[in-house]
Amino acid sequence: MSPFKEKYPNRYLEVGICEQTGVDVAAGLAVNDYIPIISAIAPFISMRAYEQIRNDVGYSQTNVKVIGSSSGLSHSPAGSSHQANEDIALMRTVPNMVILNPGDGYEVEHSLRASVDYVGPVYIRMPRHATSDVLPSDSRSFALGRGEVILTGKDLVVSSGTVTGATKEALEMLRGEGIKLALLNMTTVAPLDEETLLAMAADARQVFTVEEHSTIGGLGDAVASCLTGYMASAPKVTKLGIPPGAINTGPYHELLDYYGLSSTRIAESIRRVLRA
Amino acid sequence: MTTLQREDTEKFAYRVRRHIVETVIKYGEGHAGPSLSCTDILAVLYCDVMRYDPMNPQWKSRDRLLLSGGHKCLALYGTLAEAGFFDKSVLSEYNKLNSHVPAHPDMKKLPGIDFSTGSLGHGLPLACGMALAAKMAGLDYHVFVVMGDGEHGEGTVWESASLAAAKKLDNIVAILDRNCLQINGTTFTVHDTALLEDRYSAFGWEVRIADGHNVDELKQTLSAPPIPGKPTMVICNTIKSKGMPFAENKVAYHHWHPDAEEGDKALAALEIYANERWGK
Repeated sequence: MSPFKEKYPNRYLEVGICEQTGVDVAAGLAVNDYIPIISAIAPFISMRAYEQIRNDVGYSQTNVKVIGSSSGLSHSPAGSSHQANEDIALMRTVPNMVILNPGDGYEVEHSLRASVDYVGPVYIRMPRHATSDVLPSDSRSFALGRGEVILTGKDLVVSSGTVTGATKEALEMLRGEGIKLALLNMTTVAPLDEETLLAMAADARQVFTVEEHSTIGGLGDAVASCLTGYMASAPKVTKLGIPPGAINTGPYHELLDYYGLSSTRIAESIRRVLRA
Repeated sequence: MTTLQREDTEKFAYRVRRHIVETVIKYGEGHAGPSLSCTDILAVLYCDVMRYDPMNPQWKSRDRLLLSGGHKCLALYGTLAEAGFFDKSVLSEYNKLNSHVPAHPDMKKLPGIDFSTGSLGHGLPLACGMALAAKMAGLDYHVFVVMGDGEHGEGTVWESASLAAAKKLDNIVAILDRNCLQINGTTFTVHDTALLEDRYSAFGWEVRIADGHNVDELKQTLSAPPIPGKPTMVICNTIKSKGMPFAENKVAYHHWHPDAEEGDKALAALEIYANERWGK
C-alpha cells in the first residue's frame, strides 16, 4: 500500500482498525461515483464485515472492490485467528459478488486491473507470499469470468489461487508416470466459468479440485454443484483443500504440506484416488 | 420561521403522521412508535433545511439523508411522498410482495432513498463515506443521518463517530431521535444513553440539543452552520408514538398491531389535533 500512498496521497484513505466501518465508508464513496478499493486482512474483512459486505455492497450492488489480504493459510504463523479458510464460502453467498482468487503475480495484476474496469462488487482474495508464475506471462490468457486451460487430458483437475503452481508441478510429476490429467485454472471463482468446466469435464470419469480453502463452500463445492447440476452422469469429484474445523498453525509451506497442498502431496492424493 | 412557514411544516408532518397510522392500520402492523417519534425531524429537514429536487433524485449536489434506523421507514416513505418523490398511491403497497416500500427502505426500489438501511449501525459509517466523497469532489452537500438512541449499542456507531471527527467531516449532521425507548425497555436500562452528549463531545463532535417536536427549534438547530472541522450531532428529545396519545412513551407501541378500536382511536386523535390546530 505504501507506494500507492506516496504516489497518490489524495486517493489514499486510512480508516483505521474498523473493518465494518471501512466497508460502509467504501459503499458511501461508491454511490458518489468513486471506485473504492478497500483492503484488510482476509479473515477480518470477510468475516467481521460480512454483514456490511452483504447489505451495503452485495445487495446494494455498489461498485466496491474488497481485498482480503494474506488469505488462506498464508498468515498462519500469526495463529488460526489470522487464517481465512472460509472467505470464499462466505463471499459466494453474497449476491452479485464477483470472486477473484489470484495465485501469482500475473493473476494479481490482471485481477486488480479487471476489477477496476468491472462495474460492481468484487472480492479479491490476495496471497501473502510471492510465488513463481504458473506459466510465462506471454502464454497466459486471463479474462474475468473465464477459466484458463493450463494442461489438457481426460480426467480433470480444477485449481484456483496459490495452489495452482503446486498443482501443475504435481500433474507434471504424474505425467512422468504416464498419468495425464487436464488442468483448469479458475482465477474467477464466481461467477464460475461453467461453459469451460463442462466442456473439459465431458469425458472425465474423475475430477479433482485443489484450493487453499476449506473443502466446505469453496471452489470444490462450486465445481461439484455445476457438474451434478448439468451433467446426466457427472464424474466423481474429489475435493483437495483444508478440512473443516482445521486450526493447525505453523510455517506456511509446512502447513500447506500438512494439509496435502504441496506438489508431492497433491500428486499422492491424485495417485491414490485414481488407483482405488 | 414565519407563522405561515411553521404551519406548512406542521401540516406536512401531520399528513406524514396520517400516512404512518393509516398504513399500519391497513397492513395490520408496523413500526408506528419510532416512525412517529422522528416525523417532525424529517418534516423539518424536507420542508425547511435540505437541498433536493424530487424530479432529479440523483442530483449530485443534493443533500443526502440516511435513515439509519430503517425500521422507521414509514416516516420516510410518507415524507418522500409528500415531498413529491413518488405518487402517494405507492404507500398502499407497503410490505406487499414486490413492493417499492418494504418494511425497511431500499434504494434499489424507491427514488429518494440515498442508501438502503435496515441493520442498525450502518448509517453513520455510510455517512462518513458520503461526506468524504463530497470533500474529495469539492461538493458542498451535507449528509444528514437520523439515528436512534437504542442503536447506540452498535459498535460501528462509535467507530464511525471517531472516524468522522478524525477526518473533520463538518458536512455530517447526525440527528439523534432520542425517544428513550427501544424494543424491550428504556434505553437507559439497556445501555446508558443519558450520557450521549458527553460522549459525542469527548469524541470531538459539536453537540446541539433540540426539542424533536418543535419545528421552529428543529429548523434553527438543523440549519445552523457547523463548527468548521467538526461533525455535528443534534440530539432531539422526542416522544415515541407522538401523535397517538394513548400510545405515547409506551414501549408496547414500538411495533404496533392495531385492532379496529385502537385504529379508530388513533385516527380520531389525529382529527382532533388537526381541528384544534387549524380548524375544519
